[in-house]
Amino acid sequence: MKTLVIIPCYNEEENILTVVRRLQETCPWADYLVVNDCSTDRSREILQSGGCRYLDLPMNLGIGGAVQSGYRYAEANGYDVTVQMDGDGQHDPAYLEKVVAPVAQGNLDMAIGSRFITHEGFQTSFMRRLGINFLSGLIRLLTGCRVRDVTSGYRACSKAMTAYFARHYAEDYPEPEAIICALTEGFKVGEVPVVMQERQGGVSSIRALSSVYYMVKVSLSLVIYRLSRSRKGGKR
Amino acid sequence: MSLILQIVFLLGDLVFLGLIFLLIKRDRLSVRFGMLWLIFGGVWLVFGAVPWLLKVLRGVLRFQVVSNMVFTMLLAFVLLVLLTLSVAASLAARRMRQLAQANALLEERVRRLEQQRGPDAQNEDA
Repeated sequence: MKTLVIIPCYNEEENILTVVRRLQETCPWADYLVVNDCSTDRSREILQSGGCRYLDLPMNLGIGGAVQSGYRYAEANGYDVTVQMDGDGQHDPAYLEKVVAPVAQGNLDMAIGSRFITHEGFQTSFMRRLGINFLSGLIRLLTGCRVRDVTSGYRACSKAMTAYFARHYAEDYPEPEAIICALTEGFKVGEVPVVMQERQGGVSSIRALSSVYYMVKVSLSLVIYRLSRSRKGGKR
Repeated sequence: MSLILQIVFLLGDLVFLGLIFLLIKRDRLSVRFGMLWLIFGGVWLVFGAVPWLLKVLRGVLRFQVVSNMVFTMLLAFVLLVLLTLSVAASLAARRMRQLAQANALLEERVRRLEQQRGPDAQNEDA
């Protein structure tokens, strides 16, 4: 099973090499691709000198554009399973096999690594959990499917899902939107329990002020997307 | 509308249309976006030449005075232009994203091929 791990990277000079090395040590069976989203720090130099495989975007496209580049790469190179993993060290490669398994077995098209099944490890702040629960409820209301960790960026996708995301992927804060796209297009989405860690260094791209924009934008996108498409249940 | 005001209005409109033509001719404005402004100028040229039409339209649309109708029409046109520009900006952003991704994929492929060929082959090419 040919597997590619996409690691989006924006100003992650403190973490990126550790993340890549840890992935190589833990999962030598998986290929990886770091997508440098036009970082303004030394991320690119670090990737180059470390002999890493990376895409170097000529302009900052945001997390959605960066991840989509990885999906395009995976589709062009015939990967069977594509996994997204954050470049800040929050996602433990030890769980990669567990996240990939339901997709590799053909049970799911998208397996999301969820913090909120066993409630172990880093659980994020109370306010973020509140937002995540709201979006989770909204997705359940719109699609009837329950996904707990809607903002988790640790997810594995099948070949068909990869091909879909290579063409359609939200620009910024894409995780919840990707779930509703997958569900309305008839793909099978499920969760796998994982333990996440706090980011190992640097600062998060989501700040207090942008959280308001995040909630409004994502909620609006979810509702518009759902209203504009009828559900293709059971087609896949 | 007085004759002098009508002449000034018509001349102003002709200058506006001339400017749009000039911008299109010099490739500063695409025909696609210039079309909207040309239609706008054309409509006001007709209204300027035959102001009586405005009075008829005011009667049909039940406006109290012609000036209210003119301002409403201008506002509607400006909103239409803004919407068109928002659509164009969204489309351009999407195309730019696709182009940047294609560029990055191609650059990675070239880099990989160059690494496979080794530094000696690259020196021979140079």
